[in-house]
Amino acid sequence: MIRFETVTKTYKGKVVALREASAEIQRGEFVFLVGPSGSGKSTFIRLINREEVPDTGKILVAGKDVSALSSWKVPYLRRNIGYVFQDYKLLPKKTVIENVAFALEVIGRPRPIIKRQVPAILELVGLSKKADRLPEELSGGEQQRVSIARAFVNRPLILLADEPTGNLDPATSVGIMRLLDRINRSGTTVVMATHDRGIVDTMRRRVIELDRGVLVRDESRGVYE
Amino acid sequence: MIFRFWYFIRETFVSLWRNLSLTLAAILTVAISLALVGSSLLIREGADQATAQFQEGVEFIVFMNADALENQNEAIRKVLDTSPAIKEYVYVDKFAAYEEFRELFVDKPELVESVTPEIMPPSYRIVPSDPDADNVTELARQFSEQPGVKEVATATEAIRQIEDFSTRVSQALLVAAIVLVAVSAVLILNTVFTAISGRRTEIEVMKLVGATNWFIRIPFMLEGTIHGLMGAGLAVPALFVVDSKVLAYFQESEAVPLFRGFAVPDGFVWSTSVWILVIGAAIGMIGSAFAVTRYLDV
Repeated sequence: MIRFETVTKTYKGKVVALREASAEIQRGEFVFLVGPSGSGKSTFIRLINREEVPDTGKILVAGKDVSALSSWKVPYLRRNIGYVFQDYKLLPKKTVIENVAFALEVIGRPRPIIKRQVPAILELVGLSKKADRLPEELSGGEQQRVSIARAFVNRPLILLADEPTGNLDPATSVGIMRLLDRINRSGTTVVMATHDRGIVDTMRRRVIELDRGVLVRDESRGVYE
Repeated sequence: MIFRFWYFIRETFVSLWRNLSLTLAAILTVAISLALVGSSLLIREGADQATAQFQEGVEFIVFMNADALENQNEAIRKVLDTSPAIKEYVYVDKFAAYEEFRELFVDKPELVESVTPEIMPPSYRIVPSDPDADNVTELARQFSEQPGVKEVATATEAIRQIEDFSTRVSQALLVAAIVLVAVSAVLILNTVFTAISGRRTEIEVMKLVGATNWFIRIPFMLEGTIHGLMGAGLAVPALFVVDSKVLAYFQESEAVPLFRGFAVPDGFVWSTSVWILVIGAAIGMIGSAFAVTRYLDV
C-alpha cells in the first residue's frame, strides 16, 4: 500500500529530516512511527500525502509514485488518505455534524450521500448524541473522535495520525486507540506517529523507529523501547 | 452542481459580512475610481460632440442671423464661390440645422420643443484652401463684417479652447482614476488576504481532505469580483449625475459654438456604464486572483 524507496528529505538544504529511508507497509497494516522529537516522524507522514516532496527516492502509494504526481492530482490522492491531527483542527463555529460533513462537502459529494454517511460515522465514533454540539462544548477525547470521524467519513484506504493522543490523558487515549484499532480492522491501513510508550507496548503492532532521520528499527510486533 | 453553487454563494457572503469594514472601503474606492474613469470618458465624448461640426477640414463656420435677408445670403455665397481662398463649403439651412439639433438632443425633448426651425441660424461650414491659423483668422474677420452675419466661429478659437479644456480635465481625471484603480485593486487584494488569513484552519482542512485548488479559490475570487461589481454599481448612478449636471453646465458655456451642445447621447452613458461594470469586475478578479495565487499556496 505504501512503499518508501531510499527516500531523503532535507529542509532548506541543511536539516536532514529523513535519510535514505526504505520501508514497505502492506494493505491493512497498523504501523507505529516512534522516535524522539525531530527524528523525522512527521516528515514521514507528510511525504505520504504529499504535503512534502522528497529530494531523492520514491514514495509509492497504492502503486503510484506520489512524488512525481502533478499538483492538480494531489487532491484526488488525499481523498484516499484520512488525516488526524494532534490538535484536532476542528472548525470552532461548526457543530460536530457540520465539521464531519464539511470534509464531504468540499470534495463535492452529493447531499444524499452526506446525509447517509455522516450519521453512520458519528455512530461509529460514539458521538451520535452530541452531533449538534460545538467543539468547545466537548472534551479533548471527544474532539479527537470528531477529528477521526472527519478523517474516516470518506472511507479512505489509509489513515495517517500525527500524535493523535499527544494532548490526551492515558485513559482517554485508550479509547482513541480502540477506535483506531477498529478502523484498522475494517481494512484501513493506519500509520500513527507517537511518543506514547504505553500505547505502543500494549498494542504490539509493527513499529518503525526513526532517529535523526535514519530508519533504525522495523519490527513486526514491536515495543517502544 | 446546484449544491456547489449554493456552497460558493454562502461562503462568499459569509466572508463579505465578516470583513465588513474592509469590504466597504474596497467597494467605495472602486466606486470613486470608476466614477472618475466614467466622467473622463463622458467629457471626452462631450468634447467630440461639441467639435463634431469642425470635422473634415472645416476650419470656420459663418452663422447667419435667423432672419438674414436672401440678398445678404447671396452676397456671402458669391464670395465663397469666387474667392480662391475658399476650397469648398457646405450650406446648412435652418431646417437642416434644426434636424441636427434634434438629432443631438434626441434624449432631451424639452430642449427640442423649445426651438423651432425659424429661430435656428443657417450657417456655412467652410474649408479654406490654406488652413493656416492666421489665414483662417483673417478670413473669419472678413466674413464677420458682412451684413446679415451673426457670428463666425473658427476652429482656432472655440474648438481649441474646448479641446484643450476637455483634454486637460479628462486627462487629470484619468490620471486620478488610474491611481485610484490601482489603490482599489490593492485594497481588494488586502481584503481577500484578510479573508484568507481568517480561515486558515478551514483552508488547511480543505486541502488535507482533498478539496481541489479551484474549489478553495472560487469563494475568495467571487468575493473580490463582488467588491468590484458593487463599486461599479455605485459608480453608474454617479455617471448619470455627471451627465445631467456637469455636462449641462458646459452646454451653457460661452466657449461652445452656437447650437452644437456639449452633450452626450444617453446611449453613450449606458454603454459607458456597461464598460464601468466590466472594468469593476475585472479589477476585483485581478485583485483577488493575485491574493489567492500569492497567499493561498495550494
